[in-house]
Amino acid sequence: MNYPKNTTDETPFQTAGPFLHIGCLPNTININGIYQNDLGEKPFINKDTNDFISISGSVFDGSGQALDDVMLETWQSDENGVYTPDNGFARFVPNSISKKYKLSTIKPGSVQNFDGSLQSPHISFSISSRGINMNLNTRMYFEGDNLFKDPLLSMIKKSNNDVSSLIASKIDDTSFIFNIFLQGDKETIFLDV
Amino acid sequence: MAVKSLIKRNYDKQPQLNYPDYKSSILRAPKKDKVFFPSSPSEVSGPIFNKNIIRKFDNDLTLNFSQNNASPIGHKIIVHGTIRDQFLKPIEGALIEIWQANAGGKYFHNKDQNIAAIDPNFAGCGRCITENNGTYEFITIQPGPYPYPNRGVEWRPMHIHFSIFGKSFGQRLITQMYFEGDPLIDFCPMVNSIPDKKAKKSLIGSLDRTQSNTKQLLAYKFDIILRGSNQTFFENRTEGL
Repeated sequence: MNYPKNTTDETPFQTAGPFLHIGCLPNTININGIYQNDLGEKPFINKDTNDFISISGSVFDGSGQALDDVMLETWQSDENGVYTPDNGFARFVPNSISKKYKLSTIKPGSVQNFDGSLQSPHISFSISSRGINMNLNTRMYFEGDNLFKDPLLSMIKKSNNDVSSLIASKIDDTSFIFNIFLQGDKETIFLDV
Repeated sequence: MAVKSLIKRNYDKQPQLNYPDYKSSILRAPKKDKVFFPSSPSEVSGPIFNKNIIRKFDNDLTLNFSQNNASPIGHKIIVHGTIRDQFLKPIEGALIEIWQANAGGKYFHNKDQNIAAIDPNFAGCGRCITENNGTYEFITIQPGPYPYPNRGVEWRPMHIHFSIFGKSFGQRLITQMYFEGDPLIDFCPMVNSIPDKKAKKSLIGSLDRTQSNTKQLLAYKFDIILRGSNQTFFENRTEGL
Protein backbone atom coordinates (compact mmCIF):
# COMPACT_ATOMS: atom_id res chain seq x y z
CA MET A 1 0.00 0.00 0.00
CA ASN A 2 1.23 3.49 -0.82
CA TYR A 3 1.06 6.27 1.66
CA PRO A 4 0.77 9.69 0.08
CA LYS A 5 4.01 11.62 0.10
CA ASN A 6 4.29 14.85 2.05
CA THR A 7 1.94 13.74 4.76
CA THR A 8 2.67 13.69 8.46
CA ASP A 9 2.10 10.54 10.50
CA GLU A 10 -1.16 10.20 12.37
CA THR A 11 -0.73 10.47 16.16
CA PRO A 12 -0.46 6.96 17.64
CA PHE A 13 -3.33 5.50 19.63
CA GLN A 14 -3.12 4.34 23.23
CA THR A 15 -5.55 2.34 25.29
CA ALA A 16 -8.51 4.23 26.79
CA GLY A 17 -7.75 2.36 30.03
CA PRO A 18 -10.13 1.10 32.72
CA PHE A 19 -11.33 4.54 33.85
CA LEU A 20 -12.59 5.89 30.53
CA HIS A 21 -15.99 6.66 32.13
CA ILE A 22 -14.44 9.69 33.86
CA GLY A 23 -13.81 11.42 30.56
CA CYS A 24 -16.41 9.86 28.30
CA LEU A 25 -19.43 8.99 30.46
CA PRO A 26 -18.94 10.84 33.76
CA ASN A 27 -22.62 10.95 34.72
CA THR A 28 -22.76 7.13 34.68
CA ILE A 29 -20.26 7.02 37.56
CA ASN A 30 -21.86 9.83 39.54
CA ILE A 31 -19.57 12.59 38.41
CA ASN A 32 -22.54 14.90 38.07
CA GLY A 33 -22.73 18.60 37.46
CA ILE A 34 -19.82 18.97 35.05
CA TYR A 35 -21.54 17.93 31.81
CA GLN A 36 -25.30 18.31 31.64
CA ASN A 37 -25.57 15.15 29.55
CA ASP A 38 -23.09 12.50 28.62
CA LEU A 39 -22.15 12.57 24.96
CA GLY A 40 -24.13 10.18 22.74
CA GLU A 41 -26.76 9.46 25.38
CA LYS A 42 -29.40 9.40 22.64
CA PRO A 43 -28.50 8.83 18.99
CA PHE A 44 -31.51 10.72 17.60
CA ILE A 45 -33.00 13.46 19.74
CA ASN A 46 -36.03 14.47 17.69
CA LYS A 47 -37.27 11.10 16.45
CA ASP A 48 -40.28 9.25 17.80
CA THR A 49 -38.99 6.54 20.10
CA ASN A 50 -41.99 4.37 19.15
CA ASP A 51 -40.18 3.74 15.88
CA PHE A 52 -36.97 2.66 17.60
CA ILE A 53 -35.44 -0.76 17.39
CA SER A 54 -33.30 -2.25 20.13
CA ILE A 55 -29.92 -3.88 19.74
CA SER A 56 -28.29 -5.69 22.60
CA GLY A 57 -25.32 -7.94 23.14
CA SER A 58 -22.01 -8.41 24.90
CA VAL A 59 -18.34 -8.03 24.12
CA PHE A 60 -16.41 -11.23 24.89
CA ASP A 61 -12.67 -11.58 25.51
CA GLY A 62 -10.53 -14.58 24.60
CA SER A 63 -11.52 -16.47 27.74
CA GLY A 64 -15.20 -16.17 26.88
CA GLN A 65 -15.82 -13.59 29.59
CA ALA A 66 -18.35 -10.84 28.83
CA LEU A 67 -16.68 -7.49 29.56
CA ASP A 68 -18.18 -4.62 31.51
CA ASP A 69 -15.28 -2.17 31.28
CA VAL A 70 -15.55 -1.67 27.53
CA MET A 71 -17.00 1.39 25.77
CA LEU A 72 -18.95 1.10 22.53
CA GLU A 73 -19.56 3.97 20.15
CA THR A 74 -21.86 3.77 17.17
CA TRP A 75 -22.39 5.90 14.11
CA GLN A 76 -25.24 5.44 11.67
CA SER A 77 -27.39 7.09 9.03
CA ASP A 78 -31.02 8.08 9.47
CA GLU A 79 -33.90 5.96 8.14
CA ASN A 80 -33.32 7.37 4.64
CA GLY A 81 -29.65 6.43 4.51
CA VAL A 82 -28.49 9.99 5.06
CA TYR A 83 -25.75 10.89 7.55
CA THR A 84 -26.58 13.97 9.60
CA PRO A 85 -23.65 15.34 11.63
CA ASP A 86 -25.73 16.24 14.69
CA ASN A 87 -27.56 12.91 14.96
CA GLY A 88 -26.68 9.24 14.68
CA PHE A 89 -23.90 8.95 17.27
CA ALA A 90 -24.30 6.89 20.45
CA ARG A 91 -21.92 5.94 23.24
CA PHE A 92 -22.62 3.34 25.91
CA VAL A 93 -21.17 0.65 28.19
CA PRO A 94 -22.53 -2.78 29.12
CA ASN A 95 -24.57 -3.09 32.29
CA SER A 96 -22.21 -4.06 35.12
CA ILE A 97 -24.45 -6.93 36.29
CA SER A 98 -25.85 -8.43 33.06
CA LYS A 99 -22.69 -7.47 31.07
CA LYS A 100 -25.04 -6.60 28.20
CA TYR A 101 -25.24 -3.34 26.33
CA LYS A 102 -28.45 -1.99 24.91
CA LEU A 103 -28.82 0.52 22.11
CA SER A 104 -32.21 2.01 21.26
CA THR A 105 -32.14 3.72 17.90
CA ILE A 106 -33.84 3.98 14.53
CA LYS A 107 -33.13 1.39 11.88
CA PRO A 108 -30.72 3.02 9.41
CA GLY A 109 -31.57 3.16 5.70
CA SER A 110 -29.40 2.06 2.79
CA VAL A 111 -26.47 4.40 2.29
CA GLN A 112 -25.42 5.25 -1.23
CA ASN A 113 -21.75 4.76 -1.92
CA PHE A 114 -19.58 7.26 -3.82
CA ASP A 115 -19.84 5.09 -6.94
CA GLY A 116 -23.63 4.96 -6.74
CA SER A 117 -23.85 1.42 -5.37
CA LEU A 118 -26.07 0.89 -2.34
CA GLN A 119 -24.81 -0.40 1.00
CA SER A 120 -27.21 -2.49 3.04
CA PRO A 121 -28.37 -0.82 6.27
CA HIS A 122 -25.61 -1.00 8.87
CA ILE A 123 -24.26 0.62 12.01
CA SER A 124 -20.54 1.35 12.49
CA PHE A 125 -19.05 0.34 15.86
CA SER A 126 -15.89 1.53 17.58
CA ILE A 127 -14.77 -0.40 20.67
CA SER A 128 -12.35 0.85 23.33
CA SER A 129 -11.17 -0.51 26.66
CA ARG A 130 -8.29 -1.44 28.88
CA GLY A 131 -6.13 -3.90 26.96
CA ILE A 132 -7.18 -2.55 23.55
CA ASN A 133 -4.24 -0.47 22.34
CA MET A 134 -6.12 0.94 19.39
CA ASN A 135 -9.92 1.20 19.15
CA LEU A 136 -11.42 -1.63 17.13
CA ASN A 137 -13.80 -0.88 14.29
CA THR A 138 -16.50 -3.15 12.95
CA ARG A 139 -19.96 -2.97 11.40
CA MET A 140 -23.32 -4.45 12.23
CA TYR A 141 -25.78 -5.50 9.53
CA PHE A 142 -29.33 -6.80 10.09
CA GLU A 143 -30.50 -10.37 9.61
CA GLY A 144 -33.51 -10.42 7.32
CA ASP A 145 -32.25 -7.58 5.09
CA ASN A 146 -31.07 -8.17 1.55
CA LEU A 147 -27.32 -8.39 2.10
CA PHE A 148 -26.30 -9.90 -1.24
CA LYS A 149 -25.34 -6.67 -2.94
CA ASP A 150 -23.61 -4.94 -0.07
CA PRO A 151 -20.13 -3.95 -1.36
CA LEU A 152 -18.23 -4.67 1.88
CA LEU A 153 -19.91 -8.03 2.60
CA SER A 154 -19.44 -9.10 -1.04
CA MET A 155 -15.77 -8.19 -0.90
CA ILE A 156 -15.22 -10.22 2.27
CA LYS A 157 -17.15 -13.21 0.87
CA LYS A 158 -15.03 -13.12 -2.28
CA SER A 159 -11.96 -13.85 -0.19
CA ASN A 160 -13.87 -16.80 1.27
CA ASN A 161 -14.48 -15.32 4.64
CA ASP A 162 -17.58 -15.93 6.67
CA VAL A 163 -19.44 -12.66 7.25
CA SER A 164 -21.80 -13.96 9.93
CA SER A 165 -19.95 -12.12 12.72
CA LEU A 166 -21.09 -8.85 11.12
CA ILE A 167 -24.79 -9.73 11.06
CA ALA A 168 -27.05 -9.15 14.07
CA SER A 169 -29.56 -11.93 14.81
CA LYS A 170 -33.17 -10.93 14.50
CA ILE A 171 -35.38 -11.70 17.51
CA ASP A 172 -38.38 -9.87 16.08
CA ASP A 173 -38.99 -6.85 13.85
CA THR A 174 -37.72 -4.44 16.48
CA SER A 175 -35.08 -6.35 18.40
CA PHE A 176 -31.70 -7.66 17.42
CA ILE A 177 -28.74 -9.29 19.15
CA PHE A 178 -25.20 -8.39 18.19
CA ASN A 179 -22.35 -9.96 20.14
CA ILE A 180 -18.73 -9.02 19.57
CA PHE A 181 -15.94 -11.56 20.03
CA LEU A 182 -12.43 -10.17 20.44
CA GLN A 183 -10.81 -13.60 19.98
CA GLY A 184 -11.58 -17.28 19.50
CA ASP A 185 -13.51 -19.41 16.99
CA LYS A 186 -16.14 -16.73 16.63
CA GLU A 187 -13.70 -13.80 16.43
CA THR A 188 -15.48 -10.80 14.93
CA ILE A 189 -14.21 -9.38 11.66
CA PHE A 190 -12.59 -6.04 12.50
CA LEU A 191 -12.14 -3.42 9.85
CA ASP A 192 -9.23 -1.29 8.74
CA VAL A 193 -11.48 1.72 8.10
CA MET B 1 -19.00 13.58 -8.32
CA ALA B 2 -16.59 13.77 -5.42
CA VAL B 3 -15.04 10.72 -3.87
CA LYS B 4 -13.49 11.18 -0.48
CA SER B 5 -11.24 8.61 1.05
CA LEU B 6 -9.33 8.56 4.28
CA ILE B 7 -5.59 8.09 3.94
CA LYS B 8 -4.63 4.47 4.51
CA ARG B 9 -3.46 3.90 8.08
CA ASN B 10 0.22 3.21 8.58
CA TYR B 11 0.23 0.48 11.23
CA ASP B 12 4.04 0.64 11.59
CA LYS B 13 3.49 3.89 13.46
CA GLN B 14 0.70 2.56 15.67
CA PRO B 15 0.76 0.33 18.78
CA GLN B 16 0.64 -3.43 18.34
CA LEU B 17 -2.69 -4.80 19.49
CA ASN B 18 -1.17 -7.97 20.90
CA TYR B 19 1.62 -6.81 23.20
CA PRO B 20 2.03 -9.41 25.97
CA ASP B 21 4.19 -7.11 28.13
CA TYR B 22 0.91 -5.28 28.61
CA LYS B 23 -0.98 -8.19 30.09
CA SER B 24 -4.50 -6.90 29.50
CA SER B 25 -3.89 -7.05 25.75
CA ILE B 26 -3.39 -10.83 25.77
CA LEU B 27 -7.08 -11.75 25.92
CA ARG B 28 -8.36 -8.64 24.18
CA ALA B 29 -6.26 -8.32 21.01
CA PRO B 30 -7.93 -9.89 17.97
CA LYS B 31 -5.75 -12.53 16.27
CA LYS B 32 -6.94 -12.11 12.71
CA ASP B 33 -5.84 -9.33 10.39
CA LYS B 34 -8.16 -6.39 9.98
CA VAL B 35 -10.05 -6.25 6.69
CA PHE B 36 -9.20 -3.22 4.58
CA PHE B 37 -11.82 -1.67 2.30
CA PRO B 38 -12.17 1.65 0.49
CA SER B 39 -13.74 4.44 2.56
CA SER B 40 -17.48 4.86 2.13
CA PRO B 41 -19.69 7.71 3.35
CA SER B 42 -20.05 5.71 6.59
CA GLU B 43 -16.37 6.27 7.45
CA VAL B 44 -15.95 9.72 5.90
CA SER B 45 -18.93 11.24 7.69
CA GLY B 46 -19.03 11.59 11.45
CA PRO B 47 -20.71 13.34 14.34
CA ILE B 48 -19.96 17.04 14.67
CA PHE B 49 -20.44 18.58 18.08
CA ASN B 50 -21.86 22.02 18.58
CA LYS B 51 -19.97 24.55 20.71
CA ASN B 52 -23.13 25.07 22.75
CA ILE B 53 -22.50 21.78 24.61
CA ILE B 54 -19.40 23.33 26.17
CA ARG B 55 -19.96 25.17 29.42
CA LYS B 56 -17.78 27.85 30.96
CA PHE B 57 -15.39 25.68 32.99
CA ASP B 58 -15.47 22.51 30.91
CA ASN B 59 -11.82 23.05 29.94
CA ASP B 60 -10.68 24.08 33.43
CA LEU B 61 -10.40 20.94 35.54
CA THR B 62 -9.25 22.97 38.53
CA LEU B 63 -12.65 24.72 38.67
CA ASN B 64 -15.23 22.40 37.10
CA PHE B 65 -15.58 20.17 40.16
CA SER B 66 -14.32 22.39 42.95
CA GLN B 67 -16.57 22.59 45.99
CA ASN B 68 -17.09 26.07 47.45
CA ASN B 69 -14.29 27.39 45.21
CA ALA B 70 -11.65 25.29 46.96
CA SER B 71 -8.60 24.42 44.88
CA PRO B 72 -7.59 20.88 44.07
CA ILE B 73 -4.28 19.69 45.51
CA GLY B 74 -1.23 19.83 43.28
CA HIS B 75 0.24 22.33 40.88
CA LYS B 76 -1.81 23.82 38.09
CA ILE B 77 -0.67 23.31 34.53
CA ILE B 78 -1.75 24.41 31.07
CA VAL B 79 -1.97 21.77 28.36
CA HIS B 80 -2.41 23.23 24.90
CA GLY B 81 -1.75 22.52 21.27
CA THR B 82 -3.13 22.33 17.76
CA ILE B 83 -5.08 19.61 16.01
CA ARG B 84 -4.18 19.21 12.37
CA ASP B 85 -4.74 16.61 9.68
CA GLN B 86 -1.96 14.70 7.93
CA PHE B 87 -1.59 17.57 5.44
CA LEU B 88 -1.03 19.85 8.47
CA LYS B 89 -4.30 21.67 7.88
CA PRO B 90 -5.70 22.85 11.25
CA ILE B 91 -9.00 21.20 12.21
CA GLU B 92 -11.65 23.54 13.55
CA GLY B 93 -14.54 22.20 15.61
CA ALA B 94 -12.84 19.00 16.80
CA LEU B 95 -14.11 17.78 20.17
CA ILE B 96 -11.39 16.88 22.69
CA GLU B 97 -12.31 15.07 25.89
CA ILE B 98 -9.63 14.41 28.52
CA TRP B 99 -9.48 12.43 31.74
CA GLN B 100 -6.71 11.85 34.26
CA ALA B 101 -5.69 10.90 37.79
CA ASN B 102 -5.33 13.58 40.48
CA ALA B 103 -2.02 14.88 41.85
CA GLY B 104 -1.64 11.77 44.01
CA GLY B 105 -2.16 9.39 41.08
CA LYS B 106 -5.73 8.46 42.07
CA TYR B 107 -8.68 8.35 39.68
CA PHE B 108 -12.13 9.53 40.74
CA HIS B 109 -13.49 6.05 40.02
CA ASN B 110 -14.70 3.36 42.43
CA LYS B 111 -12.75 0.68 40.55
CA ASP B 112 -9.38 2.38 41.18
CA GLN B 113 -7.54 0.21 43.74
CA ASN B 114 -4.68 2.65 44.29
CA ILE B 115 -4.42 3.55 47.99
CA ALA B 116 -3.82 7.26 47.28
CA ALA B 117 -6.53 9.71 48.37
CA ILE B 118 -9.44 11.05 46.33
CA ASP B 119 -9.37 14.81 45.94
CA PRO B 120 -12.94 16.05 46.54
CA ASN B 121 -12.24 19.10 44.38
CA PHE B 122 -10.96 17.24 41.36
CA ALA B 123 -12.93 14.81 39.15
CA GLY B 124 -10.33 14.78 36.38
CA CYS B 125 -12.51 15.25 33.32
CA GLY B 126 -12.67 18.10 30.85
CA ARG B 127 -13.53 18.89 27.27
CA CYS B 128 -13.31 21.59 24.65
CA ILE B 129 -13.83 22.22 20.95
CA THR B 130 -10.95 23.49 18.82
CA GLU B 131 -10.90 27.10 17.59
CA ASN B 132 -10.82 28.02 13.89
CA ASN B 133 -7.01 27.72 13.90
CA GLY B 134 -7.26 24.21 15.36
CA THR B 135 -6.00 25.18 18.82
CA TYR B 136 -7.17 23.96 22.20
CA GLU B 137 -6.27 24.69 25.82
CA PHE B 138 -6.94 23.01 29.15
CA ILE B 139 -6.09 24.12 32.66
CA THR B 140 -5.62 21.19 35.01
CA ILE B 141 -3.50 19.70 37.77
CA GLN B 142 -0.28 17.82 37.09
CA PRO B 143 -1.41 14.16 37.31
CA GLY B 144 0.67 11.90 39.53
CA PRO B 145 2.26 8.61 38.47
CA TYR B 146 0.69 5.52 40.01
CA PRO B 147 1.31 1.80 40.55
CA TYR B 148 -0.91 -0.76 38.81
CA PRO B 149 -0.91 -4.55 38.53
CA ASN B 150 0.71 -5.82 35.33
CA ARG B 151 3.85 -7.96 35.53
CA GLY B 152 3.75 -7.63 39.27
CA VAL B 153 3.41 -4.02 40.27
CA GLU B 154 4.44 -1.48 37.65
CA TRP B 155 4.21 2.29 37.45
CA ARG B 156 2.31 4.31 34.89
CA PRO B 157 4.14 7.47 33.85
CA MET B 158 2.20 10.69 34.41
CA HIS B 159 -0.34 10.97 31.63
CA ILE B 160 -3.59 12.50 30.43
CA HIS B 161 -6.06 10.49 28.31
CA PHE B 162 -7.29 12.20 25.14
CA SER B 163 -10.32 11.31 23.04
CA ILE B 164 -10.79 13.24 19.79
CA PHE B 165 -13.53 13.52 17.20
CA GLY B 166 -12.58 15.29 13.97
CA LYS B 167 -14.95 15.40 11.03
CA SER B 168 -15.07 11.70 10.13
CA PHE B 169 -15.90 8.65 12.24
CA GLY B 170 -12.83 7.08 10.61
CA GLN B 171 -10.67 9.87 12.10
CA ARG B 172 -11.63 8.98 15.65
CA LEU B 173 -8.54 8.93 17.92
CA ILE B 174 -8.05 7.87 21.54
CA THR B 175 -4.58 8.33 22.97
CA GLN B 176 -2.55 9.51 25.96
CA MET B 177 -0.21 12.44 26.46
CA TYR B 178 2.94 11.97 28.54
CA PHE B 179 5.17 14.62 30.13
CA GLU B 180 8.62 15.60 28.94
CA GLY B 181 11.33 14.36 31.27
CA ASP B 182 9.29 11.66 33.04
CA PRO B 183 11.72 8.73 33.57
CA LEU B 184 8.83 6.23 33.73
CA ILE B 185 7.91 6.69 30.05
CA ASP B 186 10.69 4.40 28.81
CA PHE B 187 9.53 1.50 30.98
CA CYS B 188 5.82 1.70 30.20
CA PRO B 189 4.56 -1.31 28.21
CA MET B 190 1.63 0.70 26.86
CA VAL B 191 4.03 3.24 25.41
CA ASN B 192 6.37 0.49 24.25
CA SER B 193 3.55 -1.27 22.37
CA ILE B 194 4.37 1.38 19.73
CA PRO B 195 7.45 0.01 17.96
CA ASP B 196 8.41 3.22 16.18
CA LYS B 197 10.61 5.54 18.26
CA LYS B 198 9.54 8.76 16.61
CA ALA B 199 5.86 7.83 16.93
CA LYS B 200 6.39 7.06 20.61
CA LYS B 201 8.05 10.42 21.14
CA SER B 202 5.15 12.23 19.49
CA LEU B 203 3.02 11.37 22.54
CA ILE B 204 5.23 13.38 24.88
CA GLY B 205 3.97 16.88 25.60
CA SER B 206 6.88 19.30 25.64
CA LEU B 207 7.52 21.90 28.30
CA ASP B 208 6.53 25.28 26.87
CA ARG B 209 8.75 27.73 28.71
CA THR B 210 7.42 30.85 26.99
CA GLN B 211 3.83 30.23 28.11
CA SER B 212 4.99 28.93 31.48
CA ASN B 213 6.73 32.22 32.17
CA THR B 214 4.06 34.59 30.87
CA LYS B 215 1.09 32.79 32.44
CA GLN B 216 2.92 31.72 35.61
CA LEU B 217 1.67 28.15 35.26
CA LEU B 218 3.79 25.35 33.88
CA ALA B 219 2.64 24.82 30.31
CA TYR B 220 2.93 21.73 28.11
CA LYS B 221 2.39 21.68 24.36
CA PHE B 222 0.84 18.63 22.74
CA ASP B 223 0.03 18.78 19.04
CA ILE B 224 -2.14 16.07 17.51
CA ILE B 225 -2.43 14.77 13.97
CA LEU B 226 -5.69 13.16 12.81
CA ARG B 227 -6.00 11.21 9.58
CA GLY B 228 -6.26 13.23 6.40
CA SER B 229 -8.50 12.48 3.47
CA ASN B 230 -8.09 12.72 -0.28
CA GLN B 231 -10.78 14.08 -2.49
CA THR B 232 -10.98 13.21 -6.15
CA PHE B 233 -13.56 14.33 -8.69
CA PHE B 234 -14.79 12.46 -11.72
CA GLU B 235 -17.72 12.67 -14.10
CA ASN B 236 -20.88 10.91 -13.08
CA ARG B 237 -21.15 7.56 -14.75
CA THR B 238 -24.55 5.94 -15.10
CA GLU B 239 -23.36 2.38 -15.56
CA GLY B 240 -24.43 0.05 -12.83
CA LEU B 241 -27.00 2.45 -11.45
